[in-house]
Amino acid sequence: MLSLSDVSVNYGVIQAVRGVSLNVEEGEIVALLGPNGAGKTSLVSSVVGIVPVSGGRVTFKGEDITRVPVEGIVARGLTLTPEGRRVFAGLSVAENLRLGAATRKDPVATERDLNTYLDMFPILKERYHQTASTLSGGEQQMLAIARALMSAPTMLMLDEPSLGLAPRIVDRIFELMLEMKKSGLTMLVVEQNASEALAFSDRAYVLASGSVVYEGAAKDLAASDQLMEAYLGTGVA
Amino acid sequence: MDLVRQTLLRTLIPAAILVAIAILVMRYGQPYQIRVGYVFFINLTMVVGLQIFMGNSGTASFGHAAFSGIAAYTVAILMTPLMLKRTLIPDAPFNLDQVVLGPIPSIILALLVTGVVAYVVGLAISRLKGVGAEIGTLAFLVIVHVVFTNWIELFRGPRAFYGIPIISNLWWGLGASIIAVFVAKLFRDSKYGVQLRASSDNMLAAKAMGVPVDRLRLIAWTLSGIVVGAGGVLLATNLGTIAPTSFYFNQTFLMMAMLLLGGMRSVSGAVCGTIVIALGSEITRTLESGPVLLGIDFPEMFGLTGFFLGAVIVLVMAFRREGILAGEEFEDIWDDMTRRLRRDKAPAAALDER
Amino acid sequence: MEYVIQQAINALSVGGEYALLALGLAIVFSIMNLVNFAHGELITLGGYAMFFAAATFVGNPVLLLPICVLTAVVAAMLFERIAFRPVRNAPATTGLLTAFGVSIVIQNALVIFVATRPKPVPVPSWMQGTMSFGGFNLPVVQILETGATVCAVAGLVLLLTRTNLGLAMRAAAKDFTVVRLMGIQANRVILGAFAVSGFLAGLAAVFILARRGAVDPLMGFTPVLKAFVACVLGGFGSLLGAAAGGLVLGILEVVLQATLPSDVAGFRDAIVFLLVGAALIWRPTGLLGTRAELGDKE
Ligand SMILES: Nc1ncnc2c1ncn2[C@@H]1O[C@H](COP(=O)(O)OP(=O)(O)OP(=O)(O)O)[C@@H](O)[C@H]1O
Ligand SMILES: [Mg+2]
Repeated sequence: MLSLSDVSVNYGVIQAVRGVSLNVEEGEIVALLGPNGAGKTSLVSSVVGIVPVSGGRVTFKGEDITRVPVEGIVARGLTLTPEGRRVFAGLSVAENLRLGAATRKDPVATERDLNTYLDMFPILKERYHQTASTLSGGEQQMLAIARALMSAPTMLMLDEPSLGLAPRIVDRIFELMLEMKKSGLTMLVVEQNASEALAFSDRAYVLASGSVVYEGAAKDLAASDQLMEAYLGTGVA
Repeated sequence: MDLVRQTLLRTLIPAAILVAIAILVMRYGQPYQIRVGYVFFINLTMVVGLQIFMGNSGTASFGHAAFSGIAAYTVAILMTPLMLKRTLIPDAPFNLDQVVLGPIPSIILALLVTGVVAYVVGLAISRLKGVGAEIGTLAFLVIVHVVFTNWIELFRGPRAFYGIPIISNLWWGLGASIIAVFVAKLFRDSKYGVQLRASSDNMLAAKAMGVPVDRLRLIAWTLSGIVVGAGGVLLATNLGTIAPTSFYFNQTFLMMAMLLLGGMRSVSGAVCGTIVIALGSEITRTLESGPVLLGIDFPEMFGLTGFFLGAVIVLVMAFRREGILAGEEFEDIWDDMTRRLRRDKAPAAALDER
Repeated sequence: MEYVIQQAINALSVGGEYALLALGLAIVFSIMNLVNFAHGELITLGGYAMFFAAATFVGNPVLLLPICVLTAVVAAMLFERIAFRPVRNAPATTGLLTAFGVSIVIQNALVIFVATRPKPVPVPSWMQGTMSFGGFNLPVVQILETGATVCAVAGLVLLLTRTNLGLAMRAAAKDFTVVRLMGIQANRVILGAFAVSGFLAGLAAVFILARRGAVDPLMGFTPVLKAFVACVLGGFGSLLGAAAGGLVLGILEVVLQATLPSDVAGFRDAIVFLLVGAALIWRPTGLLGTRAELGDKE
């Protein structure tokens, strides 16, 4: 579904991503792991066009989207919940969700999706008319995910959805992601929380210093203490 | 004192260019060209003065023309002969209509007054940040203009103040420009200048690191106001006649276009932009008057010069934001060039040796 | 009593005019960090459109009013498309200087192609009369202007809270990247903001011209300078601040106008700016502005 070949991202002289190739098949959840500064955020940002791709090719559903602007990529069904949530703090939950669906032309389906996601994230229903800045971190993350879903994507990339959240909330978010997978959504999840992420992912890539250093089935990576230790420094002590 | 010596050295290239221009103009110029040359040096002094603030702080100022006005009027009021003053400003406050000073004390006082005003205004401006400061400078320009045009007892209001003794000539202009260039370079390379330039990239980070950003901005603002004031002194003492409109919008956007075209980040940029615009506006001024060129009789087109100056600003911002010199100084370019030449020669020399 | 009421409605209409202009500036600034120095030229161009329309094909002065507003809207959008798009992601100073250049270009183009001298602009005669309102005689322009300001602000609030474009504009002021991640076109949001600012400027222009009865190339400068000051006073980028700043400035002006002795009346603008300056020394971020933190959008 999504395929990157030899993608690089530069910030001036800094090379944040160096020739990464990566594939996500339809219906999969793929984990993108790696230490701080590995280039994970840079990579997913370049895929949606927030930062320019300096080299290589990105294709989505067979179409080259390397140079397509953000709006065009989202219109094609690929979107991202950015690192740090970034909900519109001055707007209400309802307004945030409405903006997520701003470009949709099908009011009936939009309304139906809205109800689906409000059921999925009951806290948002409770806080529907509240300003987003008054939500807790976990609630904001749920809002960010629901907002991204409101644009009816076929593939969603999530940049550290668990960042700064309590374990209970993290579990809840991962559970929801499995639910979304069942309804046919393809996902690429950037995570620091390696073992947790691997538990619900199909495959995983490990990024270090801008390059892919490991790729394979999630359970292989999770099962091998040596691999975990080598790539993620999180082996069982 | 090392810095002073170095800066003196670094002033040599621009000084040589300016001296060459002055000699060329004096040697071959008709009175008209000499006047144009003089105006060039006045503008150069002011633009270099403006560079001290804008180039180092990264904040645009629309208010500096007011400093040239303050200095010019101070000189005019202090230096104009008593007899004339009695008819020009008979009701001047503080008995200023009964005082007259020589040129040197007048000029020194004018720069002092300008400096004090700049300092006081700067206290407010340097507290504002970003866009607020820029609009503050604009408001300052308007305030000073309102005072000039309404304080009739002191400034004669909108009418011209004439009869100022004409004491300066092209060489004064040359001298003032060179001093301005020296001062601007000295500030740019001083500890203050370096810190201020660093802070203009990221003000909050600089503040967090303990750089006294507000104070540095105040110093740059005051110094730059005084240098621009020197340009105003030149203007008053050469033309002999001044009016509030000489120090308002037209002067503001002329200076702005000159500085931005050359590149506000370097003193050489200010020099370069001033030269180019001075030449260019001679052409547009000819066109404005509706000349007959190549057998075509052009119509009169007032506003052409302003139109081009505006267009220069827009185009520079769109296509070459850093200006012609992109923040480089002449010496840097010179060093680069000689180094490159030497490197090109090096392999050849190696071959010769063999 | 009548005098007090007259001055009050005068203050409201002047304050309203500044608020309209300041709101237009603030909308554009909040979204793309651009101080539109050429905002005043929207007023001027609106005025010239009225002049030309009256001189050529429009007989009824009432029709001139929408022409003025429409011209301002179109001009604002053209400015964006031609001049401001190339500097869209540049630092605020670059945008400000570009707009400064645009303003000079427009002013001088008008000097070249029309004239420096003022040109008459016909306005409907009923706008220039007075009407009796609860027993007081009040100028029609001022009442209309106050009313129009209230309607425009209400319309703006509706736009910003009820429409997707308005929501996107508010969101873009905080985080443009994420707005684009919602699939919303950046160009549309920005063009929308300029259209709104042009509309507000055009509306203000109608009343400015009704008062002056003539248009000249420099006429936009003074009102927009006031709007700048209003924005700074209110806290740049805050819409509420812009409206409040405009109103405060207008009231201040009218109060000074009414109370200053005639020999210092000419200094009114200087005094107003000085007072505003003093207020800013006390509160550098403006009345409703917030302090920038490290990492904030500039
Ligand atoms: N806008 C930028 N300008 C310059 N360098 C940047 C920029 N954004 C990121 N970098 C650099 O690129 C490298 C990769 O950063 P990136 O944010 O992609 O890492 P990451 O894997 O997402 O890290 P984390 O897990 O901490 O979020 C880092 O060295 C970072 O300093
Ligand atoms: Mg990251």
